[in-house]
Amino acid sequence: MGVHEIEDAALLFVFGYNGADSHPIVARRIVRAKQKGAKIICCDPRRIETARIADMHLQLKGGTNLLLVNAIANVILEEGLCDYDFIQKNTHGFDEFVETVKKYTPESVEEQVQVSAEDIRKAARMYATSGRSMILYGMGVCQFGQAVDVVKGLANLAIMTGSFGRPSVGIGPVRGQNNVQGACDMGALPNVYPGYQSVTDDKVREKFEKAWGVKLSPTPGITLTTVPHHVLHEEDPKKIHAYYIMGEDPAQSDPDLAEVRESLEKCDFVVLQDIYMNKTGQYADVILPATGWCEHDAVYSCCDRGFQKVRKLIEPSGDVKTDWDIIQSISAAMGYPMNYKNTIQIWNEVIELCPGFYGATDEKIEKNVCVQWPCRSKEEHDTGTVFLHRDGKFAHPDGKAKFAATDWRPPQELENEEYPLSFSTVREVGHYSVRTMSGNCRTLRNLEDEPGWIQMNPEDCQELDLKHGELVKVLSKRGYCITRCLPTDRVKKGATYMTYQWWIGACNELTIGNLDPISKTPEYKYCACRVEKIKDQVWAEKHIREEYEQIRSNMGIKVKGAVA
Amino acid sequence: MNGYVQGDPMLCIGCRTCMIGCVVAHEGRHIFEVDPDGYDFHPKLKVIKTFNVSVPVQCKHCENPACMAACKSDAIHMKDGAVQIDRDKCIGCKSCAEACPFGAVQMVTLKNEANIDGTPKTVANKCDLCQGLPKGPACLRVCPTAALRFVQEEDLNATVQAKRLGTLKLTVAAEAQQKQTPVCK
Amino acid sequence: MTIKQIQSTCAYCGAGCQILFTVDTEKNKILEAEPANGRTNEGTLCLKGHYGWDYLNDPQILSKRLTKPMIRKGGKGSPLEEVEWDEAISYVAKKLSDTKAKYGPDSIMCTGSARGSGNEANYVMQKFARAAIGTNNVDHCARI
Repeated sequence: MGVHEIEDAALLFVFGYNGADSHPIVARRIVRAKQKGAKIICCDPRRIETARIADMHLQLKGGTNLLLVNAIANVILEEGLCDYDFIQKNTHGFDEFVETVKKYTPESVEEQVQVSAEDIRKAARMYATSGRSMILYGMGVCQFGQAVDVVKGLANLAIMTGSFGRPSVGIGPVRGQNNVQGACDMGALPNVYPGYQSVTDDKVREKFEKAWGVKLSPTPGITLTTVPHHVLHEEDPKKIHAYYIMGEDPAQSDPDLAEVRESLEKCDFVVLQDIYMNKTGQYADVILPATGWCEHDAVYSCCDRGFQKVRKLIEPSGDVKTDWDIIQSISAAMGYPMNYKNTIQIWNEVIELCPGFYGATDEKIEKNVCVQWPCRSKEEHDTGTVFLHRDGKFAHPDGKAKFAATDWRPPQELENEEYPLSFSTVREVGHYSVRTMSGNCRTLRNLEDEPGWIQMNPEDCQELDLKHGELVKVLSKRGYCITRCLPTDRVKKGATYMTYQWWIGACNELTIGNLDPISKTPEYKYCACRVEKIKDQVWAEKHIREEYEQIRSNMGIKVKGAVA
Repeated sequence: MNGYVQGDPMLCIGCRTCMIGCVVAHEGRHIFEVDPDGYDFHPKLKVIKTFNVSVPVQCKHCENPACMAACKSDAIHMKDGAVQIDRDKCIGCKSCAEACPFGAVQMVTLKNEANIDGTPKTVANKCDLCQGLPKGPACLRVCPTAALRFVQEEDLNATVQAKRLGTLKLTVAAEAQQKQTPVCK
Repeated sequence: MTIKQIQSTCAYCGAGCQILFTVDTEKNKILEAEPANGRTNEGTLCLKGHYGWDYLNDPQILSKRLTKPMIRKGGKGSPLEEVEWDEAISYVAKKLSDTKAKYGPDSIMCTGSARGSGNEANYVMQKFARAAIGTNNVDHCARI
């Protein structure tokens, strides 16, 4: 589905997605849906902006996503609100699904979820009967040790109510970074070639072998989140000895930073290719300077599968090259020349090899500004696909959707005596990712700067005698950082939240490397922490200023700044 | 009647684009090129968040302003339908900030202006409706959800009239509202 | 002064907002970013879209722009030394080739980027991993 469809839904079921902070321009559509009379159900442990304008806010306890989703499915089943006709024609696996979900009565989960059975029932009825219900989910679903199961659980809700294949229904993940869709589309994934074509499929592999003129490996690769494990704990031949990193900063963005740093130190050879010096650069053996956004032409894929052009606006200063040119130079030096002259040549090769993108020609993207894949024909009339699963046709080989229900399991690390609070990372609206771009933008820096904030319930603050703006120490089993206290009744007692963009208040010193078994996404949204008062605030403020100066100096800045 | 900028909490998503937009409008586009610590970042409105509300708070441009009455140095004036602070005359006494019933006035320290003794100058800061700037109030132009609007006399009258009609529903008995004398044609 | 208006796509989130940039091509600098009428953003932008481009002129707030290839010639822990591109490219190629020869292609990990690089760079990176090195060890930060 497209982002614009959000505003025409009759009901928005927003689950673990904070549009206002992650994607304000998507949040704008949620606001407009409300103006147009849509009902909104917001499932989030925090009183996020969407919760304020929602008809129902199910303020669930963090880490209980699947309990709530399965209980909602239970109500829809029990009260006969399913679209049985759709289920019969377009799905399979319904009976096994019923078997799993029937245990999850609202009454059986209300205590753990911290939402009353009555409200769960009411929400289920609203969702199932609106006629045009759309699910939006985000990192509040994906960044758990049990993530894929919850996505499937949400998909179950849409399938069982026949909410697919029409405008303004279905289930929409709202993807975080600008080109996370594009990196996936282009096969920067260990199991698929560009266009989601499996590396284990012999026919597909033969096609790519022919196009690229070499023999290719049939074995799926490893995921980025398992690199520390492969460096530190695996033996040859599974050990990782060289790590070529483009446009990422694992030493800031990955969970359990102490372990990440150790793996970067111990990896034999690390290459960082980026636009700004970053924390990973401190461990890199080689640094290759690349052009940034506005300095090169490219295609990005936005969250609703749209190919759009990015333009070169200015000439870069410094001795820098485009990412693709650097890679092909190394490739040539290793005996595999590619010889691309420009991005259009690369794009033409991409679409030739990917049936789903075949019709998305450079001219078409140029002319229509945006082409949403699948776009299979080069004919002018094929301008792409606004929503998937049209008329109930799904991507499985038999064209049917598969129900998949699983049992809930709790997050790996729960609150305990030593670490009595739960800890989750969230996003800062005015900053992006590891902040090498936005942190170097003047006004964005002025709006929010180091060392960031920890959001805490006022009652917890009172118990610890903490005031707004006071510097505090936040600790987990894995590490600690210093940040400012933000008392707010938008978070529940016992829960804490830190925005993940800060280098001093680096929340990933605390986070846990527990991965979802399928997606390998870390459990950023749950671990246990403790907050400690710092008695000597004068020392703490001075410490923060010194830390900032130290970071700046490590990053190669020679001028002194009036920072923090 | 003085116009004023008003935020709608049902539309606001708390993103604070308005606060940067305000600074850029007043400081000028050159701030994207200068020394990052060389300019003043003092938004004239502030987004406030509570359990149920997110909305920017700014000056209402009162008809009989408490800030103006409280000013000890004749630095606050009514000009072309807006309450304006003359920074040159402001002595930084904070009386206006205390007097304003809305918390719309804030004291700010300027980087590039000094007091007589050379210490950094502190003055009162508040919404000036972007008077003198060609495109009008910047905050409402940059807001991604159109949560801010410029309220003028006719807008206020329309709001009041709508509320009057609402009052009828609340206060006039149902039968009186339903009872109709037929229209003769 | 040569002023041009160029429409591009925002790099700050997956919404894919369209921005109309005003560029002074003679002075090689961006003057202004205004919302364009894109499919999703319809003439609106958030704070990052409006004010997220001046990192390009290297204001040196948090970190420094990389402007020259660098190698730690003295090995791990030694300082980074600036080198010419030729040296950097052949150094990386040799190190990767040696690693591949000694430990096999699956001992090397490559990443794409979900950020500014773009689709073409990601395509070339995964092709490099698969065709030049011979491994499917390529991933990006979708998971984080």
